[in-house]
Amino acid sequence: MRKKIVLLLLLGVAHICAFTTLLAATYTPDNLPIPYLQDKTQYVSNPDGILSQTAVDSLNLWLGQMETEHGVQTVLAVVERIKGGETYDFCMALARKYGIGSKEQNSGLVILLSTGDRAYTILTGRGMEGTLPDAICKRIENRQMLPSLREGDWDQAMLNTVRAVKAYIDGDDSLVGSSDFDDDDDIGALIGFCVAMFLGIALIFFAIWLDQRKKAYCPSCHQHKMKKISSYTTTNKRLGIRTHHDTYRCTHCFFTKELHWDEDLNSHNGAAAAGGALGGSFFGAGGRSFGGGFGGSFGGGSFGGGGASGHF
Amino acid sequence: MKTIKSILLALVATLSFTSCTYNKLVEQEEVVAQKWADVQTQYQRRADLIPNLVNTVKGYAAHESETLQAVVEARTKATQITIDPANATPEQIAAFQAAQGEVSQALGRLLAITEAYPDLKANEQFSELQAQLEGTENRIAESRRIYNDAVQTYNVSVRKFPNNIWALIFGFEKKTPFAAEAGAEKAPEVQF
Repeated sequence: MRKKIVLLLLLGVAHICAFTTLLAATYTPDNLPIPYLQDKTQYVSNPDGILSQTAVDSLNLWLGQMETEHGVQTVLAVVERIKGGETYDFCMALARKYGIGSKEQNSGLVILLSTGDRAYTILTGRGMEGTLPDAICKRIENRQMLPSLREGDWDQAMLNTVRAVKAYIDGDDSLVGSSDFDDDDDIGALIGFCVAMFLGIALIFFAIWLDQRKKAYCPSCHQHKMKKISSYTTTNKRLGIRTHHDTYRCTHCFFTKELHWDEDLNSHNGAAAAGGALGGSFFGAGGRSFGGGFGGSFGGGSFGGGGASGHF
Repeated sequence: MKTIKSILLALVATLSFTSCTYNKLVEQEEVVAQKWADVQTQYQRRADLIPNLVNTVKGYAAHESETLQAVVEARTKATQITIDPANATPEQIAAFQAAQGEVSQALGRLLAITEAYPDLKANEQFSELQAQLEGTENRIAESRRIYNDAVQTYNVSVRKFPNNIWALIFGFEKKTPFAAEAGAEKAPEVQF
């Protein structure tokens, strides 16, 4: 009885430990989840669930418009705590790691809020320094972000910030959007996917047909007119092998041949498994494409250290 | 006949090899020069910000003239030093770094005294200037890092065998990177 209680207590402590470490997750540029890589409509990294889902959806929508209309690629992260507590260093390392923004325009943007460190940074790519100079970043932070941050309204702080950033970016015609060719890209990817799908299925059918044809080949009259007339199996349980004995007879010259082939009982039928996997991946991909998008990729934009940071 | 042929062949091979090495060294030297130009641009950017910053602070803290004067003087001294990266000696680089380090220190002191002026800190223009200054310090650090990377790549090429022989013949010398952040070179702590 006492042992049990001790065990239960230990379990409880272990649980609390696990829970607190989960709560106090400290992020580094290497372990911060980037949902954009899986789904290119997701710009917001909200691993601690600090922002509400409605806010995240609005932010994703605006940031998506910024990318399609002006080619500005953004990563917005809101976390509880970052390692070292320096938001600028974190953003810079993140930007360097992923190469956020297009290579041609260097139009990357990183917005980070660490609520536990009470610090924030807007980091601009080299190509963004004209549209969003440091002073403007600071002004946006002072006017849009800070008042809400002081009240602890993280949703509003981020919504106001992105709205203001978007207004500046919308006002700059020199930033070229990717909307024209990006759509083509999407269609191209879809067509490519369909063609690959079709070819894959055709290949399977072709393999099956080839197999059938090989079995129907008559060595005597060289015609493909053999038909299976009988078959039985023998099973060797020790080896895990089932041997099939099929007898074929030619409908043309009545020549008979026997085919013996082994089936490995320990593994599933290869063709069926492949077919299943293929079907699965097809429906998986299809489902995701209805959901909004394939994984995104960063363009390799470079950052020179522009932007503004602050504490609250 | 055969020996002449083989000697010619060896000569051509060596020459082409040399030109390849030579071109590579030239390219890398150009990269270093370009990165150096970036570093200087960022320092210049900081120098351009200083008059504006000094004037803003003057409006609120005129009697801190000593600190303000120190910033202006350090800036003047630093802007006088320009370096041609193609034939800069390590001493010149050190002098440049020291002069810019003095600007950093003077700025650090200036920003430290602004802490005592709540009106100044509440001034939006000052806040934005401070952000520009901080952004520029970040840019300086970044461009220095990139410059040092370029120098390292170049220095490795120059010292590797057999490049070192050609580097010696054509006069490619090792270049000096920025020294690691010494106390004097530390960017001013900008507090908000």
